[in-house]
Amino acid sequence: MSPIAEQIASGAIGERLWFYANYHCNLRCTYCLTESAPEVDRREFGREQIIARARQGKGLGFTALGVTGGEPFTLDYMPELIATLGSELPTVVLSNATVFNARRLREMEPLADLPVHVQISLDSPDPEDNDEMRGPANFRKVVEAVPKLVERGIGVRIATTLEDPEAADPREMERLCELHRSLGVPDEDHIVRPIINRGRAQSNEMGVLAGFEQLDPELTLTADGAFYSPFGPTVRGGKLDTDLLISRITEPVDAPAAALARIVEGRPAGSDASIGIR
Amino acid sequence: MSSPAAATQVGLEGQVAASVVALVEADQAPILARSFYPAEGSPSPITASLAHVPEVLEATLPFVGRILGPTAIDARTKEIVIVRTSALMECRYCVETHSVVALDCGLSREEVRALRGEGDIEAVFTDPGELALLAWVDAVALGRGAVPEEITARAKGAMGDPELVELTLVAATTLMLNRYCSSLGLPTGAATLSRLHEEGLA
Repeated sequence: MSPIAEQIASGAIGERLWFYANYHCNLRCTYCLTESAPEVDRREFGREQIIARARQGKGLGFTALGVTGGEPFTLDYMPELIATLGSELPTVVLSNATVFNARRLREMEPLADLPVHVQISLDSPDPEDNDEMRGPANFRKVVEAVPKLVERGIGVRIATTLEDPEAADPREMERLCELHRSLGVPDEDHIVRPIINRGRAQSNEMGVLAGFEQLDPELTLTADGAFYSPFGPTVRGGKLDTDLLISRITEPVDAPAAALARIVEGRPAGSDASIGIR
Repeated sequence: MSSPAAATQVGLEGQVAASVVALVEADQAPILARSFYPAEGSPSPITASLAHVPEVLEATLPFVGRILGPTAIDARTKEIVIVRTSALMECRYCVETHSVVALDCGLSREEVRALRGEGDIEAVFTDPGELALLAWVDAVALGRGAVPEEITARAKGAMGDPELVELTLVAATTLMLNRYCSSLGLPTGAATLSRLHEEGLA
């Protein structure tokens, strides 16, 4: 077993190898880590680049893959890419679920036979509250899309991002859970997480502080380089944050993986007090 | 790969000139670059620019530190090579920064001026070994192909092979840094500029 595989197996490094497929998005959420929006630079990583690095990551000992953005499904090749990745390792792809028209849903049908989950953001059981953060008609589009994915046998997770999950109203959370259950998503596929005070959330003074010491090490590859965590390649004021950059090299993957391993070995005492955001 | 902020003016405390690339502030320093940043104050612009590419910074700074930093060769001799090479290459940042370092290593103002081409080198430097070294440095910095035999013979007469190897590498490393700093327009620190004014070397 390689040293990287040993660290993954021991949990010192996250098992999932993450990719930022792109940075542009059809939405402009108030807490977006990457200031994604329709007009921003695409900074697309590329289908073949992702596939090559995913296969290298599998060889190194990573046991799961993740794809985020931007909105990955604004890229035409995304269903095919996710199918390819899902045939290699269990894969989760993060999406706002607002671009799933009939054609795109047909293209996604092969995902039903694979260990793939589409993780969809839904922040409130109330359309107004949800759409205030995520944009007009977001709620309606999500509640329409989720059952269509579920009907096709595609794995769906619901991710709820809150300013302070600890302070959430239990009655509101129960209403949210009733909603996702009604859409066909069981409780075990519902995650609740805090807004991270980076990117647009930082500009809007939202969320919890999260730096190197608070985040779990999960190798994250982007068009700009390799980062310590999927919460690393954030953008604020149009400028990429580099505080969690670990290397500009993303291939071969063993180079940034080795850099991450060195960082993990040198983490200061008490750094296991992670806030465990997934 | 791009850096959206790669522009002109930079904000590192105490540095006044414009830079072609953004200098990475301490709060944006990549994890593996942080150990190269001082606990207090600003990093050198070489560090703060290299921090854009942490794996390159990790290789470059220890190398430069080993070649230009303390070794078996005394600091005065090294600074003669560095200031002279930088002056020949017209690297503003390196000339200004190392003029101060040279003074701190015991060179006189007149010696620094002469190395910068502002005085008669042969009137200021009288040690035959140092003059042989300066001839060698001029040939390394400005020449093409092999160093002329007469200059090589003088250098070999003044230095052993270990010294010649190391001082040639000091000159070569300085050439690399000269082109790096000049091309990227790295700014000289305010403290250095102030000291140069005080010394009449601005």
